[in-house]
Amino acid sequence: MSENLAKFCPGCGYPITLLMLNKTLEKLGLQKQAVLGLDIGCALLAWNFLPINTFQTHHGRVVPTMMGFKRARKSSLCVALVGDGGAYAIGLQSLIHAAKRDEPIMVIVTNNTVYGMTGGQTAPTTLNMQITPTSPEGNIEEPFFGPELLKGIVKEGAFLARTAVNEPKQLMEYLEKAIQTQQAGHFSLVEVLSFCPTNWKTVGIGTIEKLNGLKETFKLGEL
Amino acid sequence: MILKILLAGDGGQGIQSISDLLAQASFANGLNITQIPNYGLEQRGGVSLSFLIISNSEIAYPRFSEPNVLLVMSEQARTRTKNYETKEIMKLDINDFVDKFKDLKIEKFSYNIFFLGLITKFLVEKNILKTEQVFGLLEKKLSKKVNWTENERTWKLAIEN
Amino acid sequence: MLENKKKLLTGSEIVVQACLDAEAGVMYGYPITPTCEILSGWIATGKPSLQTEDEIAAGFAVCGAVLAGQKAFTASGGPGHVLLQDGMSMAEGMRLPFVIIVGQRGGPSSGTVIYSQQEVMLACFGGNGEGLRLVYSPATSKELYELTRQAFNDAWQYRFPAIVLTDGYLLKMKSGVDLSSLKIENISAHPLVPEDKIVHWPNIYTMEEELNEQIGLAQKDWEEISPLIAKAEILETTDVEVLLIAHGIVGSAVKEAVKQLRKNGIKAGYFRPITLRPFPKKDLDKVCGWESVKKVVVVESSAGQLARIVRDQLAPEIAVSFEYLQKPGLGIEVEEVINLFK
Repeated sequence: MSENLAKFCPGCGYPITLLMLNKTLEKLGLQKQAVLGLDIGCALLAWNFLPINTFQTHHGRVVPTMMGFKRARKSSLCVALVGDGGAYAIGLQSLIHAAKRDEPIMVIVTNNTVYGMTGGQTAPTTLNMQITPTSPEGNIEEPFFGPELLKGIVKEGAFLARTAVNEPKQLMEYLEKAIQTQQAGHFSLVEVLSFCPTNWKTVGIGTIEKLNGLKETFKLGEL
Repeated sequence: MILKILLAGDGGQGIQSISDLLAQASFANGLNITQIPNYGLEQRGGVSLSFLIISNSEIAYPRFSEPNVLLVMSEQARTRTKNYETKEIMKLDINDFVDKFKDLKIEKFSYNIFFLGLITKFLVEKNILKTEQVFGLLEKKLSKKVNWTENERTWKLAIEN
Repeated sequence: MLENKKKLLTGSEIVVQACLDAEAGVMYGYPITPTCEILSGWIATGKPSLQTEDEIAAGFAVCGAVLAGQKAFTASGGPGHVLLQDGMSMAEGMRLPFVIIVGQRGGPSSGTVIYSQQEVMLACFGGNGEGLRLVYSPATSKELYELTRQAFNDAWQYRFPAIVLTDGYLLKMKSGVDLSSLKIENISAHPLVPEDKIVHWPNIYTMEEELNEQIGLAQKDWEEISPLIAKAEILETTDVEVLLIAHGIVGSAVKEAVKQLRKNGIKAGYFRPITLRPFPKKDLDKVCGWESVKKVVVVESSAGQLARIVRDQLAPEIAVSFEYLQKPGLGIEVEEVINLFK
């Protein structure tokens, strides 16, 4: 698959999402047209991972970058890969406007409830009372629901969904739907609940249990 | 007296931990120290370096390319420190310890402790540290965690080596 | 044996201590390497803080806080520093006591998360103004503390944004520092939007002349305070033939190199601007103007950002030849500077 040694932490959810994306693209014969934009966060580690055109952007800016690319090259299949921080904190404004304009790009949001690469700080999707380096007494805010927010903004034909890295069938189904949505000229966003054992400080089955626990807060399914 | 110690390994091999112990022990003896880590982007699995300087006078600058002590614990680290190999008095490369580790049955998670022991011995000879001092700090840090028995055994083997 | 008052501290821990001692009331920030530990360290003190949605919000929250009379600060580097120039511009235009600690990292773009001296231009002349901001560049851990304290005092006394321009190496460096002997008084904050009367305060003007007048007033203040703040460190004040100029942590390396070169009979000298804005121009002219000086070598971890400032500040009538040791994004060690003379 990839000849480059992946730099994701052992147990990270990103390789699962990426390999599923690649599998879907392969199935649909779209690896050549696909262009993968990466936000700055752990997503950036995928820069040389898949056999498709990939480039890094800036933190919170992958959505407007892919918007620009798609508008310049309509034949491309534009994918924006971003974490919960890049999508719902610093990049939220751009995300909302891309949804509002129905930009025909596909946004994959990796939700692990923390800022992984910088050491696990509070993110918009951090749960209430979750402990992080920037909320050592427990997060006082409530988590953010991205797809739900965009539901009130997107146009007819857009696709919004949430799945998880340990729901392979659903993940592949939603990725495929998102691609088809782009081909039909609409905006799509798939939020993927993902493992982060390094910052969750979990091991083995504990990581899976934590992810399954998140599903009680972040509901899986199409919106 | 100025001693430049470069410790290099993969993230997770405990490079920063042993650097911390040496720094704390030296500092407690009234010596000047500077310590700077150097990492890659990844949270796990990248290369992990620690530049440690111990001196009895003011330290001008915390980084150096000519270490007196060089520890290399992985292939990544070896590549990364390729150009750092001059002026060293003590060079520890994990490749040279494969047989010894097998003979003494040293566990992978204790490799860094073994090297800590060897470096401590070296610094004790130079009258910079006392063995019990470093062990005291090591005990404080790790005795309540898993694998202490093994770590303690490894330390003793290194000191008596 | 004298009680060792030194504590093992990283640069980030020192910054947090300085902000505490300066009686800062709040920190607004966003996680970005290499300043994450300043944010989490400040939060751990229990003092008011907020991790904002991005650096732009952090910058404007700091502006809001100081308008209300609360000592506030933020910390960032690289792309975060770029975004903070928006808020810093407002602070420059409205003369707000905005304090920021910048940990320079590799640039441009996301560059590296580690180190550089490539944010000098951004700190000194960023935003869309005339560079009327105070910029301090510490060379040691102790100086990092002192200059952070000074940044708060100067910002509140003189009402210019104040930037402590450090880097990823100094912030992550652990060393023994004795801060107990430092006795620094704090300038107190005061509400810029008072509670007992009404102010009306623009930062946009209708006609060109109004803006020009405002800038003139700010420049007048700037000229008045510059001599009070501009500072340099100079080593070897006699018979210097080669003058080495560097700032920040590179200054520490150059200082040591000069000491060693002198021991070997080479007539090297050292000039380190401690403030980059206002630049210690008088000292620079004096030192470069010495008869013995044959050349000036500007040493920096950038492709000439310090050099540009030095050449600009140097009096035009002082003719001296310039050479450069420029390593953008890379540290510069003592030996490398010494090797220039081999």
